[in-house]
Amino acid sequence: MRVTKKMGVHRFATGAAVLALLGGALAWSGGAVAGASSKVTITAAYAANTTFDTTPLGYTWWHAVAKEFEAKYPNDTVKLVPVDGGEPDFLTKLALLYHSSSTAPTIAQFPSTEIALYESTGYLMSMSKLLQGSSWFSQYPTVIQNEGKIGGKVYAVSAGENNNGIYYDKSILEKAGIKLPWQPKNWQDIITAAKAIKKAEPSVIPLWLNAGTAAGPNGAGYGILNLLAGSSTPTIETSSGKMVVSSPGLLQALNFYHEVFADGLGAPTSQLFSPNNAPNIPSADFAKGTLGIAVSANFIGGNWTKQVSFPYWKASSTAMGIAGLPAASGNGYASTLSGWDYGISSGATSAQATAAMDFLNIAQDSTNLIDAANWAGWVPPVKSDWTNPLYTNFDSPFAEEFGKLLPYSSELPSNSNYSVWVQGIEQASGDIAEKPSTTGAQAMQSMNSFITNQLGSSEVTTLK
Amino acid sequence: MTVSTVSLDAATAPPVAELWKTRRDKDRFQWSSLALLTPAFALLIVLFLIPMGYAIYLGLTNLTLVGPTAVKWGFTGTQNLVRLKSDSEFWSSLWTTAFFIAGSIIGVIVVGYGLASLLMRAQAWMRIVVGGVVVVAWMMPAVTAGMTWYASTTGSGTFATLSGMRNSNFLDAQPLLVVTLANIWSMTGFAMLVMGAALRNIPGEAIEAAVVENASAWQRFRKIILPLMRPTIIAVVLLVALLSLANFSLIYIMTQGGPGTATNILPLYSYQQAFTFNNLAYGALIGNVMVLLATVFGVLYVRIAGRR
Repeated sequence: MRVTKKMGVHRFATGAAVLALLGGALAWSGGAVAGASSKVTITAAYAANTTFDTTPLGYTWWHAVAKEFEAKYPNDTVKLVPVDGGEPDFLTKLALLYHSSSTAPTIAQFPSTEIALYESTGYLMSMSKLLQGSSWFSQYPTVIQNEGKIGGKVYAVSAGENNNGIYYDKSILEKAGIKLPWQPKNWQDIITAAKAIKKAEPSVIPLWLNAGTAAGPNGAGYGILNLLAGSSTPTIETSSGKMVVSSPGLLQALNFYHEVFADGLGAPTSQLFSPNNAPNIPSADFAKGTLGIAVSANFIGGNWTKQVSFPYWKASSTAMGIAGLPAASGNGYASTLSGWDYGISSGATSAQATAAMDFLNIAQDSTNLIDAANWAGWVPPVKSDWTNPLYTNFDSPFAEEFGKLLPYSSELPSNSNYSVWVQGIEQASGDIAEKPSTTGAQAMQSMNSFITNQLGSSEVTTLK
Repeated sequence: MTVSTVSLDAATAPPVAELWKTRRDKDRFQWSSLALLTPAFALLIVLFLIPMGYAIYLGLTNLTLVGPTAVKWGFTGTQNLVRLKSDSEFWSSLWTTAFFIAGSIIGVIVVGYGLASLLMRAQAWMRIVVGGVVVVAWMMPAVTAGMTWYASTTGSGTFATLSGMRNSNFLDAQPLLVVTLANIWSMTGFAMLVMGAALRNIPGEAIEAAVVENASAWQRFRKIILPLMRPTIIAVVLLVALLSLANFSLIYIMTQGGPGTATNILPLYSYQQAFTFNNLAYGALIGNVMVLLATVFGVLYVRIAGRR
């Protein structure tokens, strides 16, 4: 492999240079120099503008962790590589960084849906041995541990998770004659409540359901994929690796969208299709009192805190209610689970890998982990943190409530075909929002055509 | 000071037949000119032919941005071409591109000519003000133009407010039309300047003679102005076509090719394939199709410019 060869040369050159400096008093191990006084430099790449709720919060967190790391390990240096842009821009730029061994970051933070893709490229190192005896990783629930596991080896560890549920404005629901606290038992209950809101408060948007492609691949995760997760056939990718382009579950989810938009219950396309951070728009709408219900992600609650201010809404804790998104059958709740993970580059020397793990140990220290969860709108992956006051008090009661919903969440696939599939389903949901006369079956057909055209018929399948 | 004179003596002059044997253009070629041309030729090779050749090669491989074939990739023959042929999204994108370019050409020519014609008759101060505003719109970066049009055409934007329908979202209702209008708006200044210059070069006597002959305004336009402006119009048409074909930023800012694929012109589809779907090779192939289209427009432009 070309990359491996290049990396081998790089390791040799680095090792030779350090050997010369230290007068041959060091040991050679795995192509790297390891020693008590050896200087190790690692790089850490992260999305500067998308993971944290605001760019300054991300800057503060990463620099604080880097400072702590360098103070604890004076011989080690970490160079932070903030990557600007929205999530699609970040993914492109990160992939390009990995293209050269000289720019491949030792540590990178990326969405969980990219793990398998990066691993299959050979960019990621197995972290299994490095994680042996890890105090924090052993506390991850199995579902989150498995997020970065491929073929029994761990290639990435979660930094934080996003799950979804229902937010509602208590006063608007009360005016619509809905009894509080509200917990819909099935999807029909949501439609009924939205219709009641439309009747009682015509100027209010009854129900926010993310639709269209404006929010990038994650947009579907905050919208239609939650409904799919609660449908009769939630499968996105079969065990043979084929992407599902037609199924009763897809039809159920798309029919729900059709019902919402055909009845004028959904948000206007000017908001849904806004490239300006569409998934966060419900935060502002709720604060203005112009939105009744939203199916949305756990980060919305954090947006109302003073630190994030998107916008700052002091009364949110009492004005807003939280409910689980029921499964279509009414049996339990449903949500997608997607997170941001850390991976270590396969090109890292053993000394760099050790230093990278030291860095992650600091990043995953309870205080830093909770700070990241609070400022990035995540549920922390360590279960004991879900009840830690540092976490629950940040945007009380939202954080705690979403922590309770985490066990009902299911992971999204991670492979190259998923990026095409998710584009297809986002276009289908966008078609319905744009032209509400589009039926669920028509939207599914158009999704099927798009994905099959892109991936080829051998890569897709239909479920009955 | 001595003055020497040279007389052409019939006896010493070479015979006419000898003169005919010598090609007059032969002396023009000098081997040393090759050395002078070498830097430009080398630049052409390094900065255009090699990258272009490499892009053509990439279009026939299975290279991806990430995934196993990001590292181990190779030549796959006509596989991508076969895919392109049956890719309904590509053909749809091609039609969208054709609409975008044709709409832009018609709009830019009509509005550009109209403004140039009106400004010819306008008072000097008005010519400066209106001309200045239109040229500023042309000089505006595509990012700024895109943001301006996005803000104006979405709900609660300028258009919605002026039309009294504050919640109307023109951009989502008619996305292709709106991005085409935005493109027309951003290129009209260029057409107005070029066509204004061409209009000023039309001899006044020809128009006066037509007026004396009782020719109507339409007849004057069709029989005198249009034929005399034909080369200019064709040049503007081809340049607008080339600029529109390459106009990625404006649409990316306004719609990112959406909603759905409503404004997914070829540059955006190429980008989507390469960087959203990770298919760098297929994205390169679509880029090569664009180069082919641009070459057709470019050759036409050079030929027509040469005729002038």
